Amino acid sequence: MSVEAQDLKLLANDNRGQSGLENGSGLVGWEEVTQGSVLQSFDGNATGIALKKQEERAYSGYNSYTATVASWRIIKPVYNRDVCIDCQNCWVWCPDTSIISRDKQMLGIDYDHCKGCGVCVEVCPTNPKSLLMYGENTPMEDALSAWPEKKKKEK
Amino acid sequence: MAITSVKNLKEFSTNNDRLEGAHTLCPGCAHSMIVRELMNCTDDNLVISSNTGCLEVSTAVYPFTSWDTSWIHIGFENAATAVTGAEVMHKVRKKKGTLPDNDAPVKFVAFGGDGSTYDIGFQWLSGAMERGHDFTYICLDNENYANTGGQRSSATPIGATTSTAQAGTHSYGKKEKKKDIVAIMAAHGAPYVAQLAPNKWKSMAKGFQKALETEGPCFINTVSPCTTEWRFDPKDTIHITDLATESLMFPIYEIIDGHELNILYRPKNIIKVDDYLGAQGRYKHLFKPENRHVIDLIQSDIDKYWTMLQRREEARI
Amino acid sequence: MAVKFDLNEREVWDGNYAASQALRQADVDVVIAYPITPSTPIVENYGSYVANGYINGEFVMVESEHAAMSGCVGASAAGGRVSTATSSQGFALMAEVLYQASGMRLPIVLNVVNRALASPLNVRGDHADMYLGRDSGWLQMGAFNAQEAYDLALCAFKIAENASVRLPMMVHQDGFITSHTAQNVYPLTDETAINFVGKIQPIDDMLDFSRPITYGAQTEEDWHFEHKAKQHKAIMDSMPVIDSVFAEFKEITGREYNRVEKYDMEDADVVIVGLGSTVETARVAAKNMRETKGIKAGVVAIRCFRPFPYEEVREALKNAKAIAVTDRSSPGGAMGAFFNEVSAAMYTSINRPIVTNFIYGLGGRDFSIEEGERIFAEQQVHADAGYITTEIQQFSGLRGPKLAFFKTERS
Repeated sequence: MSVEAQDLKLLANDNRGQSGLENGSGLVGWEEVTQGSVLQSFDGNATGIALKKQEERAYSGYNSYTATVASWRIIKPVYNRDVCIDCQNCWVWCPDTSIISRDKQMLGIDYDHCKGCGVCVEVCPTNPKSLLMYGENTPMEDALSAWPEKKKKEK
Repeated sequence: MAITSVKNLKEFSTNNDRLEGAHTLCPGCAHSMIVRELMNCTDDNLVISSNTGCLEVSTAVYPFTSWDTSWIHIGFENAATAVTGAEVMHKVRKKKGTLPDNDAPVKFVAFGGDGSTYDIGFQWLSGAMERGHDFTYICLDNENYANTGGQRSSATPIGATTSTAQAGTHSYGKKEKKKDIVAIMAAHGAPYVAQLAPNKWKSMAKGFQKALETEGPCFINTVSPCTTEWRFDPKDTIHITDLATESLMFPIYEIIDGHELNILYRPKNIIKVDDYLGAQGRYKHLFKPENRHVIDLIQSDIDKYWTMLQRREEARI
Repeated sequence: MAVKFDLNEREVWDGNYAASQALRQADVDVVIAYPITPSTPIVENYGSYVANGYINGEFVMVESEHAAMSGCVGASAAGGRVSTATSSQGFALMAEVLYQASGMRLPIVLNVVNRALASPLNVRGDHADMYLGRDSGWLQMGAFNAQEAYDLALCAFKIAENASVRLPMMVHQDGFITSHTAQNVYPLTDETAINFVGKIQPIDDMLDFSRPITYGAQTEEDWHFEHKAKQHKAIMDSMPVIDSVFAEFKEITGREYNRVEKYDMEDADVVIVGLGSTVETARVAAKNMRETKGIKAGVVAIRCFRPFPYEEVREALKNAKAIAVTDRSSPGGAMGAFFNEVSAAMYTSINRPIVTNFIYGLGGRDFSIEEGERIFAEQQVHADAGYITTEIQQFSGLRGPKLAFFKTERS
């Protein structure tokens, strides 16, 4: 098994997960709040945003992409590339847009936005699983180096 | 309309999400799975409205928005009206040539929970469906008012315990059966009505795409298991949805033009509803001997409904 | 292109028809409405203009007034010009969405044909619905006759859509008395009208896909207060914009509007302060008092109910000795709301005049010239005595024994 640690900021835009939800985007007082409480999702021209990958987008400071909920997590999914078959089950069912897939390949996890629900692990079909839950403070290397072996089918 | 490929999951996964993370839905919530999938079904621009509810309060917590599309929330009851107001304005501005880009493709979508769809927003939804606007309404049906702490709605099934229909020494929980919203919406003569589930991602994506492509008002009821109020482990959301569709508690089907019914998923081995109910805390009390009759009633209703769906499908009426 | 609508220099229109012609001439994109007496003809007429090609907009009749305003919010956030009309119970049903529209800073123009609120059910004019909207964050203007209902509806779009205002606006007229009484109206030509109103400049346009935006976010104790403060500031700051729109309107029509209107106020000792069609009755009464009794009577009318013209009211009434503030809405266990506002303005003036409150005209009860004269005469008695000689709040035109509340301790 590979013991290569995952990039915690995999394909992250510069401002991904930079603020907590409680501190508000540089707003100070009533003069700074946006008119009509309207929020703009992107800076500049965002025409055709559906065709742009996250790392290519100019997220505004009001986009929750720039916030993090990492502190919600007490357990985290760890991804093992060596077992993965790129089925994309984890991608389609992740409730937090935290599975990073590009060009039909699963690449890793967005730890700024993952809340540690564990759905990705449950829907992972490989044997052994390519994703497993570990305590938030477990070092990646430790998790990956002790990855379980293939289980025999129970009869 | 620019639909995306749903041939297989690998191809589908090449879409770029338009619902961002750091929304504040509970871990394991099915709402965002469903919403992400809808948004990944097309590359078109979207104008989305949401009724007040879990999805709304979690995705636009000032000064943050999780929406990469135009989005509006007014109140608990009026997402259908809000988005159709925008749809009418789009029609006028297109006619007059006053849109920023007159050719930009756009779809209008409204989301509501079951509380806002079955109960408080029922009239607004019915009105918008009757008026024939070109939009798709998606109900995220978690069978209770989860955002206010789990009260009964008219989507709550008989026997479930909720904070306002409690199971206790003298009660087995909610006494009334669930409202059949799909039948009611089909009775509006809507061109496309369906009930879909996120575990069957492909049939859900195809249904979403049909609704988006169909001109006129479309309605989709989606089962959205609620880890908090149904009381199951957040990791089990898809497993619970599997039990819902395998037991036929949530049959997957569509109704075209108010009459043509097609079953979209037939379980190979239909499981007993006990397995579905037993996996959730909200039905735990039903397994006491004195409440067994409620489970039997639920099972018998499921059987009858499944028979009805099959007969309607065969009869092509 | 829309079919040309032939207009005469002078038309005979009632208030409803006048308002609907303003919607046509302002080239309103979308009207989403639900019928209610007495405002129904405004939206019916707009619908007929659409049906006959006089306008290129869309008319949608929805299933309730709540939905009507909800649809207007969605349509307005989608960048075009939006208007509707309602009255009474319909206004009450809209109330939730009124706050949402103003909070989102959407420049919708709502024509309110004032009518009493049930129970008991009543279709006639009083100001209960107008008062219900007074904290809703909308600008509110009152028309006293059909010409004004037309003029102010045109001005309303220009004020509401002004980039520094961007607030929804109500134009009020009294049910039946104004809405159903045919009067001479001098309309603008279509060209003059649209040139005056101008084209709407969308701000935060949901249909501008180069700039996706979120409307209707949630704020709690962290940011709600700041938003409401900013909105209040915008309402306050709309005053000079309203003045400049009125000035521009005067230039092209010769018709002058002010946030506070004054009639016979140059030397008035006793004053009726009123809203709506009552103002015209009070003006006749004031003239009669001057001619027959030698009483220096005058009338102050509030054209702009929100933002409340606090300073202009104080200025208009600075030399008055006794003021009767008339409230055409059931006060529900307090002084009339309008009385409270005028009193607050006058309490902070140097010469605090005597102020009393008349509750009158509920449910369309006629306010007669004779009653106006009686009120003026009574004000003269207060003025001569130097204190309030009656109860502070009186019901005017009520059947049965006199109903009055609160005595002054200043005598």
